Amino acid sequence: MASSWISPPTRTELIEDLVSGVDRYNPSNVSILEDYLYHQIRSEEYDCLANLAILKLYQFNPELYNPDVIVNILLKALTASPLPDFNLCISLLDERPPNVNTDEPDPLPSLLPTLKGLHSLLYRCRFPAFWKAYRSEELENLRDNYTVEVVGFENAVREVAIRAVKAAFTQISTTRLGSYLDLTGADLEAYIRKLGWTIDPSSSVVNIPPNPDNQIEATVVQESINLPQLTKVISHAAKA
Amino acid sequence: MAQQRMPLWAAEADIDEDVDLHLAIGNYGQNGHYEDAPMQQPQIDEATLMAMQQHMAQQAAFAQIPDVVKAFIVHFHQAVLDNNLAEITVAYESGWNKYTEKFYSRTEWPEAEVIAPLVNDDPIFLILYRELYYRHVYSRLQPNIDDRFHSYENSCELFNYLLNSEGPVQLELPEQWLWDIIDEFIYQFQVFCTWRSKVKSKTEDELMMLAEGGPVWSSYSVLNVLYSLIQKSRINEYIVAQQEGKSPEEIAEIVGEYGQRPLYRMLGYFSIIGLLRVHVLLGDFTLALKVMENVELNQKSPFTRVTACHVATYYYVGFCYIMLRRYPDAIRTFVQVLNFIMRMRQYHTRSYQYDQISKTADRMYALFAICNALSPSRLDDNVANISKERYGEQYAKMARGGEDSLAAFEELFLYACPKFITANPPPYDDPAALALLIPPSPTDSPTQTPAPLPSVDPTHRHLSLFLADVAAQVQVPTLRSFLKLYTSLGAKKLANFLDADEEEIVQEMMLMKQVSKSVSRVPGSEKGLLDGQTITTSDLNFVIADNMVHIAESTIGRRYAGWFIKNTERTQRIFDDLRSTPLPQPPKTAPPAAATAMPAPAAGETHAKASRAGGQKVAWGAVKAA
Repeated sequence: MASSWISPPTRTELIEDLVSGVDRYNPSNVSILEDYLYHQIRSEEYDCLANLAILKLYQFNPELYNPDVIVNILLKALTASPLPDFNLCISLLDERPPNVNTDEPDPLPSLLPTLKGLHSLLYRCRFPAFWKAYRSEELENLRDNYTVEVVGFENAVREVAIRAVKAAFTQISTTRLGSYLDLTGADLEAYIRKLGWTIDPSSSVVNIPPNPDNQIEATVVQESINLPQLTKVISHAAKA
Repeated sequence: MAQQRMPLWAAEADIDEDVDLHLAIGNYGQNGHYEDAPMQQPQIDEATLMAMQQHMAQQAAFAQIPDVVKAFIVHFHQAVLDNNLAEITVAYESGWNKYTEKFYSRTEWPEAEVIAPLVNDDPIFLILYRELYYRHVYSRLQPNIDDRFHSYENSCELFNYLLNSEGPVQLELPEQWLWDIIDEFIYQFQVFCTWRSKVKSKTEDELMMLAEGGPVWSSYSVLNVLYSLIQKSRINEYIVAQQEGKSPEEIAEIVGEYGQRPLYRMLGYFSIIGLLRVHVLLGDFTLALKVMENVELNQKSPFTRVTACHVATYYYVGFCYIMLRRYPDAIRTFVQVLNFIMRMRQYHTRSYQYDQISKTADRMYALFAICNALSPSRLDDNVANISKERYGEQYAKMARGGEDSLAAFEELFLYACPKFITANPPPYDDPAALALLIPPSPTDSPTQTPAPLPSVDPTHRHLSLFLADVAAQVQVPTLRSFLKLYTSLGAKKLANFLDADEEEIVQEMMLMKQVSKSVSRVPGSEKGLLDGQTITTSDLNFVIADNMVHIAESTIGRRYAGWFIKNTERTQRIFDDLRSTPLPQPPKTAPPAAATAMPAPAAGETHAKASRAGGQKVAWGAVKAA
């Protein structure tokens, strides 16, 4: 967990106090954190720990439960893959007793399996299958009511794919990359250009710039001994 | 030990006989006569009657207490009054267990009200006594709902006394006991939550009490206690000040009147560990590691004196790392503490907590096997071998991968995971909602839509998350075994080998790449347990250029240095022993052995030198071929 995950630079002091202090348990602070979530959704920011703090409050105070907020948190966590954020959120969703006096149906029970399915596809790098599922008719409800509100959701998914591609490829065909990004033609080219990657015009293969993960090298790891490991031997010798 | 102490208490018992005498006599008189009284004189009003009955019952119970136990309690009380840590420790660790075995292995200890006369109704001692009383009920017997509620009340009284007295209390207790107080508090919370979540087998009375239970064993109340102890003791400030190397005077000023007292400081530290545990039980693995952010995980800290606490800390931290998919960190955590346990074994076997520690260790070997299958490492062959010894069959399955491995992962996870709990009770206060949770008779046709109440217990929720992660990478070992054979290989050919679609295989390779990386702590360079950097965890690396897979394997050169260092140290020990042994024939002057100092090997340089030097010196004492 890089330090930007533990404490994103966009996190305000107020939120920091809530995330790191005892005040995180105070149910009356939930609206501050919920507002912060909606801010993240509008401005393409992400703060996992702050969102987990909302789920924690829901866990302890079932009356605060707000399924829409939970769906939004899960959508944000989805695009953090392969970090474990999505699972961390699910871990906090305690079983809820069946709601007897329902005024309005709870959308979460029906959406949860869908979201878990999407997460599994993303985590397993099954990007074409992800897009197919995401664009399917069954997920219309999710798209129309939720992901549409999450600014840059589809691009965030593409970034998940880019992270995976960058690590595993030095070259990739445009068709394959397109299927991972759900982009074709000019859109795809524009996206590739924005990444700073180049397309070989003759073979239409995309070259991916070198990075630590796609540079491989057979190495022999040699042991390296540092002075501190020898202190016992040396000091003993000095005493003797 | 315990046997020797016996005469001491027996001797004191004689003296105490005076105190007990009148009570015993009074009791004697009642036994035959008063018991019938209520029947004959129904006009006595009920309250008085109840009080009388209670009084008589108590006296009868008092008479039943063996004299040695009475003496023990008196002695124990005196030790607490005197703040005599040594005596308290002996009574706590040895006396209590001894008399439990002897008299109360199947029944409760006498109730606090019954023994109250022995301790002059000292309220503090009675709270401590009840703490032990209930702990005994929980560990040896089956607590009923009254026990569960009362043990909570007693814990509250104890914490109230510690936290809300005027200023810090003067009480002193052994560290082990302080840890046990926190540990037991959380344990009772956990078993209460588990018991509470089972709606089915509750009696009417229990349902009523649960409906009106209010804050009893609520998550908030438990967290409140732990956070209050942490804040009151300023333990986090204390740890930070220690790390910054502040002087004792400065530290005393920082931690204030509470934090200066060992009782509060230790309770504060144990509460941090307690929080770690509670957060894990509730499934909040990031927050669990976050509360530990000031605690340094090492074996040098004075807080490691309580072994049970030390072991629990590593167990829960390691488990958090597993749930964060940080298997290398989990492995490192388990290796550290398992080695510690191995080294300390000689002391443990004598401790009454040995069972608990070795059970936790066993679970950590299981977790280690899981991690090692998911992210093979050669960090510590010793621990790896023991783990394979104990869980060889499961480990082989897990390491082989494929669908069959899931059952082995599940088995070990369920065996080794913490006892997860649900934060909130089922809706006991809402009979209608509650009724929905009680499954209808099993005659219901199974063809009906899946029951709307698949109330998944928290353990299975975490299990299914973990298994989903594992399932994602079950094909990796197979892929890996193929890749190991090549330096480059067409994706299509690979797909043919595996009888799979080429695109499918390419995506699987991306996944393989992804799981061969992990966030990991870089020792020494970071603060806090959450922090870390991405590292590569696999020795097999590859990259795809369009449709061609290029493979590179890293190998680890043979390691000599560790062997040499270990043997140099061993040789030195032998040499020292030899030198300190008096020579068999003293008369002639002994050779001045100390003259030849061992040459210090230059940093990082050939260890052959060091070892040769050692070898020479050994040759002085006795010839020992390497």
